[in-house]
Amino acid sequence: MTDETKKKVEDKIVGLVKEYAGKKRFKPIDIVKEMEKEFASEGLTKDDIKAALKEIMDEEKLVYGYAGGSFLALPENQ
Amino acid sequence: MAEEIKKKRLTDIGPHDYNDYLSPMIKKNYGKWAFHEILDPGTMVHVAENGDKLYTVRMGSPRLVSGSFVRDICDIADKYCGGHLRFTTRNNVEFLIEDEKNVEPLKKDLEKMGYNVGGIGNIIANIVHTQGWIHCHTSASDASGVVKSVMDELYEYFVEDKLPSKTRIAFACCLNMCGSVSSSDIAIVGTHRKPPRIDAERLRNLCEIPSTIAACPTNSIRPDTVDGKPGVKVNEETCVFCGSCYTVCPAMPIANAENDGLSIWVGGKVSNARTKPTFSKLAIPFIPNDPPRWPGVVDAIKTILNAYKEGAEPGERVGEWIERIGWSRFFKITGFPFTKYHIDDFRLAETTMNYSSHTRL
Amino acid sequence: MGKKHQTPLLDELKKGKWISFVREIERAAEKSERTEDLLGQVEESYRDKVNHWKHGGMAGVKSYGAGMVGRFSEFPDKYPGIKECHSMRIIPSAGFFYNSDFLRKLADISEKYAGGLLNFHGATGNIQVLGMSQAEAEDVFQAVAELGFDLGGSGSDLRTPSCCAGQARCEFANYDTMKICHDLTEEYLDELHRPAFNYKFKLKFSGCANDCVASAARSDLAFIGTWKDKIKINQDEVKNYVKKLNVQKYVLDKCPTKCMWFEGEKLVIDDENCVKCMHCINVLPKALRSGDEKGASILIGAKAPLVTGPRMGMMLVPFYDINEDAKNDYEWLKGLISNMWEFWDEYGVSRERIGELIGRVGLNTFLEGIGLEPIPEMVGHPRSNPFIKFTEDED
Repeated sequence: MTDETKKKVEDKIVGLVKEYAGKKRFKPIDIVKEMEKEFASEGLTKDDIKAALKEIMDEEKLVYGYAGGSFLALPENQ
Repeated sequence: MAEEIKKKRLTDIGPHDYNDYLSPMIKKNYGKWAFHEILDPGTMVHVAENGDKLYTVRMGSPRLVSGSFVRDICDIADKYCGGHLRFTTRNNVEFLIEDEKNVEPLKKDLEKMGYNVGGIGNIIANIVHTQGWIHCHTSASDASGVVKSVMDELYEYFVEDKLPSKTRIAFACCLNMCGSVSSSDIAIVGTHRKPPRIDAERLRNLCEIPSTIAACPTNSIRPDTVDGKPGVKVNEETCVFCGSCYTVCPAMPIANAENDGLSIWVGGKVSNARTKPTFSKLAIPFIPNDPPRWPGVVDAIKTILNAYKEGAEPGERVGEWIERIGWSRFFKITGFPFTKYHIDDFRLAETTMNYSSHTRL
Repeated sequence: MGKKHQTPLLDELKKGKWISFVREIERAAEKSERTEDLLGQVEESYRDKVNHWKHGGMAGVKSYGAGMVGRFSEFPDKYPGIKECHSMRIIPSAGFFYNSDFLRKLADISEKYAGGLLNFHGATGNIQVLGMSQAEAEDVFQAVAELGFDLGGSGSDLRTPSCCAGQARCEFANYDTMKICHDLTEEYLDELHRPAFNYKFKLKFSGCANDCVASAARSDLAFIGTWKDKIKINQDEVKNYVKKLNVQKYVLDKCPTKCMWFEGEKLVIDDENCVKCMHCINVLPKALRSGDEKGASILIGAKAPLVTGPRMGMMLVPFYDINEDAKNDYEWLKGLISNMWEFWDEYGVSRERIGELIGRVGLNTFLEGIGLEPIPEMVGHPRSNPFIKFTEDED
């Protein structure tokens, strides 16, 4: 996965969570599945998507929430 | 290493290497133990193939402990065990002693400090339990207070070996049942009896409707329109008050001061010895919360324990004893009423009926 | 902060012989003043008969999706010390072995940055440090990391694996529970720290069928030590036991398959019919020992009641040769786990444990999905109903 593709995946994930904030809780497992489909043509694997997700978290663009199950959320200051 | 972790903010450090914490005798005899003997309810000795003897003194803990408690046990471990100790799955502390002459002084020190030594053999084991009112938002009861009340009353059975077999009591403050509560000799379980209350406005902001609906084991939650906006409704006829929806949706609180309480379950075990592992079965569907000492619960446990002590053969666990004498006699001996709540009506209900003419008249 | 509260109901629980948790909270409050407010709020719960914690609100440590449990007081103005009262889960040392040096340092950390209260251990087996704010979580994490410890699991992830004391201090252990527990925790750190499953997944390791960590009652994948060959008998020790114990009544008659008997004074065991339940070895530890060909049975699917009812672990692999597989860095086991997780990812739904998924799709579908053959050890008995779905791949 090139840095450029990785950036694309990251933007897509963060964009989705922002767009649906307050309406839908994205579970990490669902996001990974969706991104796998979305970027299938670019040959990305589940591990690639997970790596992108890890970077999003390391940079604190998103955080993990929990309500019975884990989901992706915007940091509280946003 | 420490500096490196700080500088780079290393993550994913991993589990600490347990070899750092094994005493010299344990390292030397790892995988080479020959047998063990229980010397008294607070002490056992493991003998290695080469004759080395490792003594263990077991002490109860309330699971929730202070830093000062930790320093107390560290002082004892330093004085007698070269600083080595471990915890058990049931929240006991175990001091690992390599020199036999340290065993009795260590126990005396613990007793002087007011700590409880025991819990090995045909005893009541330390009660594994959950957080309760101290730290949990789904609890139907406190945990530590009930456990303390039961253990105070049954203290003699922790320090003396006088039951037919080991007896494991467990406590969970709601149906989430953190820990292996559902397969204990006696289980105490926090129980709600009223459906969740729906705060429609908070629900819109806080909850995801599909996952709230999916959380229900009896399909009692349905989509609904409240004030022209999406919401949910609960079919109170089929709701079993499990609280699963509240776990997913904070706007459906289920705790209810007047109606929450505890249920008592018996006869479960996880060990495969003799008979297969089995779940505990319902003995008493509901006892109201009665803090600070929960006398109703304490009495019920004592009734079960006395009947077991009286009726079981040596070596029989609570469930094995009940299987032998039959459930009808269990209810007769204990005086617990058998009610409609004792007949299962959930997923595998049909498998629990008596398909035979076998009956004790 | 640090205001003393009247606690007449809790004070009742300082009496009695069993160690008092109220006293422990008070001792914690002597070192970490905020914990006075915990006493105040819990006293209110005792009076009101209901808990006073809010549901919701987030807590976490940067780049981890697990290991923190957020907890907020319902009365932040009245009890500012526990406005935020989060707990942090820390992976224990395998077998829960520690030394005083580490424990003292951890006690200091808990008092400096949190409420001075700890759990040894939580239900899954984590060390828990209680009573910190979100702002303090990073400090606790850094301090714990400096001691070479890491955060445990929470949420929809691999929960912190746990094991019994195993070969470190038990002659019953049929494999090195602590090593495999440690090695697999290390292997699956990403799955532990970053929730990406449908729901939680637990791994527990017991050295024998006594199952001291209750693996078969609460872990999605339970490893229970067993052996393939004959129980080793020391006939002299058998004779010693016979002198002080009714071996016939309390051992032989209790054997679930009646696979042992006396021929004269000699104890004989029909090992082919032995189900490795441990009863005879438990009662006669000096006389009987498990065989030399050791490994573990793997049981799948145990869980607590929510959502669709409790499940006990069911037999999946009767004999897993751990020692052999450990030589290849657990290649076989990792393949099996990976197949399971893929199947669960693909067919499971949110908050569905793997046991519930198997219940929903059927064991055959699951076995096909993960590449295992059906064998009689997996069932209590073969089907007794005739509703067989024949498929075309059979002759």
